[in-house]
Amino acid sequence: MTPLKNLTIKKFNEGLVKKDFSAAEIADAFLREISRKDGEIGAYLSINEEGALREAEAVDASLAKGEKIGPFAGVPIAIKDNILIKGLRATAASKILENYTASYDAGIIKKLKNERAVFLGKTNMDEFAMGSSTENSAFKMTKNPHDNERVPGGSSGGSAAAVAADLAVAALGSDTGGSIREPAAFCGVVGLKPTYGAVSRSGLIAMASSLDQIGPITKTVQDSALLFNAIRGQDALDATSTEIPGSENYIRELLDPDLKKIKDLVIGIPGEYFPEELDETTKKSIDVTIKTVQSLGVKFKKISLPNTRYALSCYYIIMPAEVSSNLARFDGIRYGRKTEGVQPATNLKDIYFKTRGEGFGNEAKRRIILGTFVLSSGYYDSYYKKAQQVRRLIKNDFENALKEVDAIMTPVTPGPAFKIGEKTEDPLTMYLSDIFTIPANLAGLPAVSIPVREKKEGLPIGFQLIGKAWREPDILGLGFYYEKTTAPELYEN
Amino acid sequence: MLSEIDKKTIEYLAELSRIKLGADEENKILKDLKKILVYFEELKSLDTSGIETMNGGTEAKNEFRNDDDRTDTDKGNGVEAFPEKENGFLKVPPVFE
Repeated sequence: MTPLKNLTIKKFNEGLVKKDFSAAEIADAFLREISRKDGEIGAYLSINEEGALREAEAVDASLAKGEKIGPFAGVPIAIKDNILIKGLRATAASKILENYTASYDAGIIKKLKNERAVFLGKTNMDEFAMGSSTENSAFKMTKNPHDNERVPGGSSGGSAAAVAADLAVAALGSDTGGSIREPAAFCGVVGLKPTYGAVSRSGLIAMASSLDQIGPITKTVQDSALLFNAIRGQDALDATSTEIPGSENYIRELLDPDLKKIKDLVIGIPGEYFPEELDETTKKSIDVTIKTVQSLGVKFKKISLPNTRYALSCYYIIMPAEVSSNLARFDGIRYGRKTEGVQPATNLKDIYFKTRGEGFGNEAKRRIILGTFVLSSGYYDSYYKKAQQVRRLIKNDFENALKEVDAIMTPVTPGPAFKIGEKTEDPLTMYLSDIFTIPANLAGLPAVSIPVREKKEGLPIGFQLIGKAWREPDILGLGFYYEKTTAPELYEN
Repeated sequence: MLSEIDKKTIEYLAELSRIKLGADEENKILKDLKKILVYFEELKSLDTSGIETMNGGTEAKNEFRNDDDRTDTDKGNGVEAFPEKENGFLKVPPVFE
């Protein structure tokens, strides 16, 4: 039996084609591993046992008939619970959606169904993707597989923990201010937030529409490139999604990066991302990574992103404003009702107040109220409009810097995974966890979190590469050669 | 401006947001909001006069689909989630009192 540990998308496909194993065997092995281990980890909110086995068996049947299969056929994937799969529950880890079953497939799920991927289940998250530790889930706690007293990060904590604990080959998450990259860094896996518009948001339960993107969480950079390529592209049901300019070259660069081109990249190091108070181990780890990447021939250059310090305030105005609008649809009627005893209500307003009062958790309420405040009459100019102007300045910073360099390297988080309960009391302390990841969302740029592979012991630490818009091949190509140098075993058979 | 945030503000915002808050919740949100707004004060030191707002995640133009008839709106599936329905219609209590 092939061990599930280090089983990547690439290795799964090779093994399946060579008949080292069947898709059903691997799906079954993952399901058994989940029932054995997930009681402790808590990565999944629901398991799609029947559907997963059915699809895996269908892939095996195709193979037996000698039909050709694609790179994702039979690949067992975990899906964050804010992404809709028709007929399966989609709760976004909120009580208000406890009884909601998706009535259609998200755009990316349609694509993955065409690719015949196997969906193992839906993963835990912070309620409506609001949080940095998955502690805001209404249903359960997810633990960091590297230390069960620590958080897995968030909001895609279940997806990152599932991949790190070998409870899925790969997973999908969503990233509004760091929700893919931060948990990837805390759990020692790879996470990509694509360029805004690269991936359809149709069927993603919206948090902040101008910032949200779906992206992969995987064991290797190569797998992230593969999974990203499978889900990206224009979708008629998301008007902001688009095909990548010059697609043909782009796909080749993405899936088969050229070392000669990668060596010519110039990477910027922004002083603002390495403040005095940055965790010492994080700083040292990134220094080691810089040396490794230099040894590949890549050049580094000091740069400045002067408005970085305003990014957190800017984000915590724009995001809640969009939250207060997006979450207005949860009214206790259209997506099923959680609250018992509201009926018979005398009027519609009663249903709204009671369902929303009981159904939303603390962080969701806090953000809706804050968002309503910054949009309300008399405050709009000094908060919301101001924040949109600051967003422009932050974007300009990146545009200027990316004229001089091809990509930017920074830490992902101010430190490694923190203890469960350590930051739940004070929302502002929790918000600061995302200080290095938020700017890429504001500017709409692609950014990947990659584990510092030189660090073999202790808690994982990640480094971030931020690229130019639509230049995922730069950051993933560099990451790929970095991994081949520092962790060749990931790519060995 | 910050002094304007008090319990009354929170009650008003809760009313606008259609959320019923308990007394403890109101106090906690007021405390948190005050702290967050103090943090936002740093934006005041940044001169943004004449800066154009950035109004979305991209400067690219929306790609709208053609305004054609579509038959893929699966009404039956959407209706299933409604707590009360009649002949495929949503049933709710009176809107006007």
